[in-house]
Amino acid sequence: MAASPRRTSRSPSPLSSSPPTTAEQPPSARLEEILNSENCIEELSSASEDDLYEDMGTATLEEQANITYLEKVRIPIHDSLTTETSEAQNETLEIILPYLEGNPNDLPLNIFGIPELQRKKHIAFLQQALGDYPGAFALLDASRPWLVYWSLQGLSAMGYDISEYQDRVIHTFSLVQHPSGGYGGGFGQLPHLAATYAAVLSIIMAGGTAAYESIDREKMWHFLGEMKQPSGGFTMAAQGEEDIRGAYCALTVLSLLHIPLELPPSAPARAHGLTTFTDNLGPWISACQSFDGGMSAAPGNEAHGAYAFCALGCLSIMGPPKQTLNAHLDMSALIHWLSARQCSPEGGYNGRTNKLVDGCYSHWVGGCWPIVEAAASTPNLWNRAALTRYILSAAQFKKGGLIDKPGKRADAYHTCYNLAGLSATQHTYTYEETMLEELGGSELDAPYYWKVHGLHGGERVWGDGDVVDEVHPIFVVPFRAVHDCRRYFEDMKSFDRGIARTD
Amino acid sequence: MGKTYHDDPEWADIEPIPQDDGGLHPLAAIAYTEEYSEAMGYLRAVMAKNEFSQRVLGLTEHIISMNPAHYTVWLYRAKTLSEIKASLRDEIAWLNPTALKHLKNYQIWHHRQTMIDGIGSPEGEPEFISTMLEQDSKNYHVWSYRQWLVKRFDLFNDEEERRWTEGMIDADVRNNSAWNHRWFLVVGGRNGQALTEDKLKRELEFAKREVRRAPQNQSPWNYLKGIVRHQKLPTSVLKDFALEFADIRRPDDIYSSHALDLLADIYAEEEGSKEDAKKALDLLASKYDPIRAYYWNYRKNLLDQTETVA
Repeated sequence: MAASPRRTSRSPSPLSSSPPTTAEQPPSARLEEILNSENCIEELSSASEDDLYEDMGTATLEEQANITYLEKVRIPIHDSLTTETSEAQNETLEIILPYLEGNPNDLPLNIFGIPELQRKKHIAFLQQALGDYPGAFALLDASRPWLVYWSLQGLSAMGYDISEYQDRVIHTFSLVQHPSGGYGGGFGQLPHLAATYAAVLSIIMAGGTAAYESIDREKMWHFLGEMKQPSGGFTMAAQGEEDIRGAYCALTVLSLLHIPLELPPSAPARAHGLTTFTDNLGPWISACQSFDGGMSAAPGNEAHGAYAFCALGCLSIMGPPKQTLNAHLDMSALIHWLSARQCSPEGGYNGRTNKLVDGCYSHWVGGCWPIVEAAASTPNLWNRAALTRYILSAAQFKKGGLIDKPGKRADAYHTCYNLAGLSATQHTYTYEETMLEELGGSELDAPYYWKVHGLHGGERVWGDGDVVDEVHPIFVVPFRAVHDCRRYFEDMKSFDRGIARTD
Repeated sequence: MGKTYHDDPEWADIEPIPQDDGGLHPLAAIAYTEEYSEAMGYLRAVMAKNEFSQRVLGLTEHIISMNPAHYTVWLYRAKTLSEIKASLRDEIAWLNPTALKHLKNYQIWHHRQTMIDGIGSPEGEPEFISTMLEQDSKNYHVWSYRQWLVKRFDLFNDEEERRWTEGMIDADVRNNSAWNHRWFLVVGGRNGQALTEDKLKRELEFAKREVRRAPQNQSPWNYLKGIVRHQKLPTSVLKDFALEFADIRRPDDIYSSHALDLLADIYAEEEGSKEDAKKALDLLASKYDPIRAYYWNYRKNLLDQTETVA
């Protein structure tokens, strides 16, 4: 059976900020249950009377409202069979519930009684994430481009002007650009598509001619050509693993830098009859859709939220989502699976069937919705308010930064993707029929037809102070960075396509 | 202090390439330990001259012990093993404890795949995978590796493999990774081939039995729906089964929201049953799975759209 949730003395908030309920405030049925439950009395038996009073005192009006809400969204069916999975789920829910019901971190609340976005603290956290790391962090030595991307994107989402980092971004990535093209995780490291994706996005966020010119596009073209596989997919590195991340990262770079769609003459896939980067790619992505409708890393693997975003992102670069998603995917099965990722009553997403909620899927799954809604021509397929609750109530670390779930440490990864998910709950985007700002009209231009359509008008639990900036639905950076970059490369006429030399 | 190279005669011929951070201070810089920094300097130097040797294996092992997430080191090690024709069996023996220590690591599994591909035999691998799954029964890399093994060594008709998968499902019927593996083994990995009558019956019976153990578990429901879709059967073949767990005429006795969900699909396909489909979706939206109310309502709207079209 699912553990019955109870508030325990583990999570009291100081009496000073939470006045005790008075007789005029009817205690919720839930609260009575708590006080009558033997478990609760057992747990409190060792506590002093003051503690007991303080525990009762946490039932503010806001908390009663939260508890009522949680009861309402809970699935009322529980199987009696206990397995490793159900035990982990029950334990996790017990840890999370106090944060959804009350305010154990004692954060200021918005007008909906939900913790406000701790903008200042999160900004300070990400500024620190861009700084120096002690030697014990050698484990991150191949992931430094990611740290920079996550931090810059998180800062941008919170409206922080990152221009102070511009020179250092250019310098940082000039050190890790590989002589044969693409970017590595660090100085002297081999080029890798994940590092390349993070590097290019960071560079375009920094923006400006010097930043754009720091990228060797022609060598990039050759590097990407090396990654293209006869199957249609891409490997992450030479002799590395082939999965859907590779396809999404490669197409992101191809589109933003306006690199020709023809494979370079040196590309090994040419020997198998392929001539462009998108050859066989659509069918390869179709093969990544699993039997339950979700998307997996590679054909045959288990459906997974992060790979789902990569798959949808990749298809949305190949063409308008309405065309490409409907052509290559079983949409009703996909929507069913995406919808099932929202955990009840937590409101956050998990990445796979029967796995635990994790704040990073706020983006990986939450970020799929604008794409899917555009493809299905239907707004409001998902519960934005429930996700907002999870992010603001359970995924903010008291001292700054965002997290997987209560009890975990904050990191730049979870901060970036929780904020991107929060942004997805607040903004609406539409895929326009006509081009914006005279961008595109040529290869892989589909991502430049997205338009910000304003704040979400429906059910909401975020206050004005909790609003984060719009995030480009495909590239997960600010719109301005995307449009400025493509405009810069769109106008470039001097690119030597190399192909000409072989003609 | 760990291993050093500058005072090691074996490395006297190598001039290390130190990390050059140039003018400005880079972002997210790591203050490497001297040991790591020196080893990386030697690695860059051997990579620059394309050296593949026994001592390179020692160097890469040393760096991996400090940073197992270092793809460059793993890829260069794999290349070295291949160039000097080292024993891949020895490599696997070294790899086993390393993999157990670093469960969530991407690189180790890709490296293992490269080695086993070179060895050309899956011998011992199922046992090793079982050890790994005892630590983390849903590890994505381990399961993906298992799928690769099945494909590489054509284990699709291996009874042992299917029994093992069944054992994993028995141990935790909610382990979706195990369900996915079964799908891959029995259905998915076979280029779209339809199941024979025998196998179809077996798979449906198996999944139904597992649903009965815990009806609110979505994995076997997805499996059932997947089988029906794959065989291009009408969803109604599952109607009697779904009715065991949910009946819209007894809205207070629902034992599985997934049965209601399936019934909504079945009624939507059935002539004249749109209202029943709506009732099932209403029950989901209002009571049995309200967090997805937007989605259930979307499904309701689709019913009206098809009516209009018809």
